[in-house]
Amino acid sequence: MATLRLNGIHKRYPNGITALHGIDLSVADGELIVVVGPSGCGKSTLLRTVAGLESISDGELMINEQRVNALEPAERDIAMVFQNYALYPHMSVFDNMAYALKNRGTPKDEIRRRVTDTARLLDLAELLDRRPRHLSGGQRQRVAMGRAIVREPQVFLFDEPLSNLDAKLRVQMRLEIRRLQKRLGITSVYVTHDQVEAMTLADRLVVMNGGHVEQCGTPMMLYAQPATRFVASFLGSPAMNFLPVTAHRDGVVLPNGVEVALPDMLSEGRAATLGIRPEHLVEATSMADAAAVLDVTVEMLEPLGADTLAYTRLPGLEEWLVVRLDGAHAAREGQRLSLAFAVAHCHVFDSQGARVPLAEPETQACQ
Amino acid sequence: MQYRRPGLDRLSHALLALCCLLFLLPVWLAFTASTHTLGALYSQTASLWFGEAGWDNYRHLLSGSFGGLGTDVLTLLINSTIMALGIAIGKIAISVLAAYAIVFFRFPFRRLCFWLIFITLMLPVEVRILPTFEVVADLGLLDSYAGLILPLIASATATFLMRQFFLTVPPELVEAARIDGAGPWRFLRDILLPLSKTNLAALFVIMFLYGWNQYLWPLLITNDADYLTIVVSLKRLLTSTDGLVPWQNVTTTAVLAMLPPVAVILLMQRYFVKGLVDSEK
Amino acid sequence: MAPQLGIVLVFFFWPALQAIEQAFYVEDAFGLSREFAGLANFEAVLSDATYYQALGTTLVFSLAVALGAMSIALLLAVMADRVIRGARVYRTLLVWPYAVAPAVAGVLWLFLFDPTLGLISSLLGNVGIDWDHKLNGAQALALVIMASVWKQMSYNFVFFLAALQALPKSLLEAAAIDRAGPWRRFWTIIFPLLSPTSFFLLVMNSVYAFFETFGTIDTVTSGGPGGATTTLVYKVYQDGFVGQDMGSSAAQSVLLMALVGGLTWFQFRYVERKVQY
Repeated sequence: MATLRLNGIHKRYPNGITALHGIDLSVADGELIVVVGPSGCGKSTLLRTVAGLESISDGELMINEQRVNALEPAERDIAMVFQNYALYPHMSVFDNMAYALKNRGTPKDEIRRRVTDTARLLDLAELLDRRPRHLSGGQRQRVAMGRAIVREPQVFLFDEPLSNLDAKLRVQMRLEIRRLQKRLGITSVYVTHDQVEAMTLADRLVVMNGGHVEQCGTPMMLYAQPATRFVASFLGSPAMNFLPVTAHRDGVVLPNGVEVALPDMLSEGRAATLGIRPEHLVEATSMADAAAVLDVTVEMLEPLGADTLAYTRLPGLEEWLVVRLDGAHAAREGQRLSLAFAVAHCHVFDSQGARVPLAEPETQACQ
Repeated sequence: MQYRRPGLDRLSHALLALCCLLFLLPVWLAFTASTHTLGALYSQTASLWFGEAGWDNYRHLLSGSFGGLGTDVLTLLINSTIMALGIAIGKIAISVLAAYAIVFFRFPFRRLCFWLIFITLMLPVEVRILPTFEVVADLGLLDSYAGLILPLIASATATFLMRQFFLTVPPELVEAARIDGAGPWRFLRDILLPLSKTNLAALFVIMFLYGWNQYLWPLLITNDADYLTIVVSLKRLLTSTDGLVPWQNVTTTAVLAMLPPVAVILLMQRYFVKGLVDSEK
Repeated sequence: MAPQLGIVLVFFFWPALQAIEQAFYVEDAFGLSREFAGLANFEAVLSDATYYQALGTTLVFSLAVALGAMSIALLLAVMADRVIRGARVYRTLLVWPYAVAPAVAGVLWLFLFDPTLGLISSLLGNVGIDWDHKLNGAQALALVIMASVWKQMSYNFVFFLAALQALPKSLLEAAAIDRAGPWRRFWTIIFPLLSPTSFFLLVMNSVYAFFETFGTIDTVTSGGPGGATTTLVYKVYQDGFVGQDMGSSAAQSVLLMALVGGLTWFQFRYVERKVQY
């Protein structure tokens, strides 16, 4: 099996646009790395440079500690699952899966054996003679996976493979991919813009923005300790609430004058942002040692079943403050609520958007 | 959804049927005339029904040379077939390669090449007959199949049609093939050509008709009756005898000249329509 | 990648370039055995009354063919689209004239109008019209136009029918709900939506009338009588290959190329943008 290492990968296009500004990343054998970010952040470009579909302007790409910068995609021993599957429309499922093996000159009976084995693994055995256009979306997805698996590659690359499926199938295939990847133990890089997919699939998560890596680490670590305001806003739904604050000697002050007691960390008078996730805002009566209490008015309710999202107004603040209430909560629109939060759930970001540590361990590096 | 207007529908049907008949009329008359003898033709206004000569005119024309033409119609048909097939296949081969290069490869002066092809669109062979005639004469290709075919192959219509189609092939398919280890030739053979089957058929129909129906170019470069095409021969038939036009021969030849292309268009109508309509975009 | 490129260059660009080079060095190619004539050929052509006659004939001919073939095709296509059932049958019945060579189309119509034994000429004779296209220039032109329209109609029909069938049904339904009758729907909705197709066909029909009808003209009238059916392309042929006046013919070729190039440029630069809806 294989490891994958990226050392300072840059991608510059002839028209002067730089898509990747020095990406460092190492992927352990059998690990599933999910690269997530908004569209245009460079995540697809990153994947395509690893695949060899885009050349590398600067930096090193190592598979099993072998430099592969100059190798053709077919020589890198990687497999890729495309967003639109890119199945050959004129070939049967069998031929689609066998094509790469044929091109490599694999003996006929071995091709047959490997394709049928993979087809069984993916529940495709009945469909081997069909053309892609006679398959459902989920089946096509599985054929695309099968085409990748059958080659027994060193590295799997996934380019938003689930985004063309409907919501229910997406959840199902997500689990399927996770199960197969663990079972086959193939080192994988998975690109998506869907943060739920990212959180659920990843061994480790890489959040990208503007051609840079913002942060990487386990999904829960990124969720609990986002290194930047961008990561904080990107992960979690509904997104984290951000309140503009000013540093104060015992913490920070909200625009409406409410003080939040926090450990000393910023010089007084500096502007900063305080972030609190919707689920960390609770009714003041149920919390003893709150960092602060906010009096808000409920403007709108979105019942989701298990939870209810309350869009509330805090005087002096332009944005809504979103609160995740229990589904059984009897809130009404127009009702006043007193919300509290704990110091442990406060995220403070400086004016550059970087996390201000509140006496916590540093996040780990990507290398 | 349409308004229910049975009257309008019936009128439409009637008009369409009438027009179909009107469009058929010239061919029908030529067909019936081809079964008359010369004498019968000139003794009356053209008859709407078959004459007493039956297939005699056809038998006569296909088997021996006649009327100062110096060859039989069978040879003319063979020449036309060779020319039409040569042009169709040659154009397709060249345009597939050119379109493949333009769409799938980045090479220096790609835009320049594109424009060079584009310009040839504006200059059909009729406009550049003089220079082309000179070149072909210099190359010693007068009165040869190569001379008939080659100058007509280098036109851009087919290239554009193929380019249009290649552009609709999703780039991921190309990338998937690269990852699957298919080089440029293999991609062309295994993926692109099988995918283009319908378009190639459409192109074949259009180019076959184009080749078969050529007039000016074969007229210029063939003096030798052995390389004459059937379409060009008609003019010679019309004028070759003094006095009366041998209409029974002319109509017979015209019917024979029509048959292959009309058969092709009717048999492959689906591809033809698709090819034509696609070329607009 | 290099080998493919080589093949493409040798088999496509070289002949293409040759053609263009030949086209632009036309005078040199024919001036080799003569003196270099400068612009004298052009002056001769442009001061020749028959050249302007040919230009006029070309315009009348092209316009008549384009409008005739397009309006008949549009009428038939609208009706065929309307009847739903049978549209494909009608297409089959109307598409085949496209396969007929222009020269053959000429012969067919020549036979219909043959002054001695033609069906239509004798019918015309019965109502007092003397038909002889060998003597009457206007009749000769009309005959060539009819033969050309007959052949070209099917091409237009295919396009119009395809365009009509591709129109979004919801649009027509919306118009129907807005209480627009069939006539009104056609002029206010369908016709404007067909404008890109119509424009494309106008260009294609002009090209057809300019160049491909050479075969029709040559078989039917040979440009006569008295040059009444001599179009620009026919004149190039006649002066160059029949009259052996290569210099004049070459100059006409260049003018023709400039004309066609100009029209194409005009089409791409200007008109195409205006026809978008």
